[in-house]
Amino acid sequence: MTVAAARPPGGPGAEMPAAQAAVLARYDELAALLAGMDDRPGADPGLTAEAAPVLLHEARLLDAGRFEDWLEGWTSDAVLWLPLSAQAHPGTDQSLLLDDRRRLAERVDWRREPSAWGQHPPSRTTRVVGSIEAWAAADGLVARSSLLIDEYRHGRHQALAGYQIHELVGDGLRRRTKILVVPALGTGVRNPSFLL
Amino acid sequence: MTADSGTAPADFDYLVQPHRVHRRIYTDPQIFELEMTRVFAASWCYVGHESEIPAPGDFRTTTLGLRPVLMTRGRDGAVNVLLNRCTHRGTVLAAEASGCAKRFVCPYHGWTFAPDGQLVAIPFPADHAVEDHSTLSLGRLATATYRGFVFATLNAEPEPLDCWLGEAREAFDAIVDRHPGGDIAVMGSPHLLEFVGNWKLSWDNAADGLHATFAHESYNTLGEMVDTETVLARDPGTTPMVSKALRNGHMVVDQRPGIPQGPWATMRRVPYREPLENALIDAGDESLLDLATGSMINLSLFPNLLFVGNQLLVIEPVAVDRTRLQLWLTSAPGAPPEIDLLRLRVDEDFVNFGTPDDLDMFERVQRGLSIPEMEWIDMSRGLPDSAAPDGDATIYGPITSEAPQRRYLAHYAKLMTTPTATRAL
Ligand code: FES
Ligand SMILES: [Fe+2]
Repeated sequence: MTVAAARPPGGPGAEMPAAQAAVLARYDELAALLAGMDDRPGADPGLTAEAAPVLLHEARLLDAGRFEDWLEGWTSDAVLWLPLSAQAHPGTDQSLLLDDRRRLAERVDWRREPSAWGQHPPSRTTRVVGSIEAWAAADGLVARSSLLIDEYRHGRHQALAGYQIHELVGDGLRRRTKILVVPALGTGVRNPSFLL
Repeated sequence: MTADSGTAPADFDYLVQPHRVHRRIYTDPQIFELEMTRVFAASWCYVGHESEIPAPGDFRTTTLGLRPVLMTRGRDGAVNVLLNRCTHRGTVLAAEASGCAKRFVCPYHGWTFAPDGQLVAIPFPADHAVEDHSTLSLGRLATATYRGFVFATLNAEPEPLDCWLGEAREAFDAIVDRHPGGDIAVMGSPHLLEFVGNWKLSWDNAADGLHATFAHESYNTLGEMVDTETVLARDPGTTPMVSKALRNGHMVVDQRPGIPQGPWATMRRVPYREPLENALIDAGDESLLDLATGSMINLSLFPNLLFVGNQLLVIEPVAVDRTRLQLWLTSAPGAPPEIDLLRLRVDEDFVNFGTPDDLDMFERVQRGLSIPEMEWIDMSRGLPDSAAPDGDATIYGPITSEAPQRRYLAHYAKLMTTPTATRAL
């Protein structure tokens, strides 16, 4: 079910303004990308080889705390979405976060604030990216990969696992969409503010 | 069946004093164990909202003082709160967070229960000695609702829910009534956040008006970067915001007097704010925008429900030094759909840029409280407490006062020294 379809007909205002319709369309696009992932056929070997260095580079930047460099790799219409389950829709279910390009930049500023106590001292993370698969998409590719992430902070560590979906576009394979699914978010994790 | 031994493991007159409390109430596993009965079983606790289980057979699971419980909608439409435990050998019946079931069939030996807890079938009944199945219904909690919010207790003689809520009903009503038609609902799939700390740390924090300036400094800095004065950025020493310590440990921080421009003016940009906001403005619904952010009333109902923003924060103790927070988002079914769409992004804002501060403070405090030689936590700010002018049971103060903490802890100490019979119906 899409949000646009769920809207009662003849709601406030006769026709939904185009800008608002675009928001709902983006939400539906995100939900469809997530929901359809398990039904995809085997990956395209060439595109998988193309996607791999981009995904590994991102993981290395994040583990190194090079967030400004990481921010460079996003398109202007970017979305980073961390749903609470693989069945979620960004327009009807709570998410851990759904960032547009502006809030991504704000998140990087936040990580640099010395009084952002949830990340000061910062988490030290180790990401392992594996099981990479990629398929052709409009203006680029869609990749799915598994992610193991170990976090160490305040003398304790927690290990989380999940998978990520990237939509990479243009010549530079910039991130237009990233969906990170961490099933443990549905059972309770400690301060998840290191997840990106 | 009474579940209380009747002896307290500690002297609560000593541990909870008017101006200070002892570290042991946050660190002692025996005290924690007693809390699970004297506080969490003996008080009314929030379980869930009726909107989560609209149809017969709908259910949701949670815990109350570590006990697995099950909230169901029966075939007759009534809401039941049951102990999620098969009466045969004790198996937890429903393992899912929520769902819909015509009957609950125990996976171990197939005993079958109706959504209202009645035992309706036992396999091979001829072999079974018990003929009267009614004695083998699921354990049931006393249940009552207020404005669609479901509360339950194992207290053998609970005071009526309305009395227990008392003066807190005023803030409760204000939070519900600002929704068009008084219609508030709870969305599925909560955030579940854990911290390595005692559950009372989140309670100490809930009406703490001072910490916003320090612990949430980075949140306020993010606001300043875009010329927004967040609700937490006000000078706590001079703001006309009011904190109230109510009977039964309930607390209110009313921020409304401190934000004359209204709630929406305190909100920074969030993803996709503009198109949704403009749609409401163009439709002539600008006045509804305040609904997209919180009521600006932080209401805390002891011991497990906090209203913060448009979220319900449910405090779930896990161990003496481990707590799970359930963060549920409320929706406004009577408002245009843009409101709920905005709420989704608005509530992420504090969860991402504010809540991590609180979680970090809770874990730091718990670590500090591990030091045996440093016994006391100071709670004296704002003493002496003055009662309300009209002589009701409420204590008012500026938001820097620690009166709410003192008052809830005094109530807590009273519960902990009162042997209360708890039982399943
Ligand atoms: S434990 Fe449930 S049927 Fe045996
Ligand atoms: Fe806080």
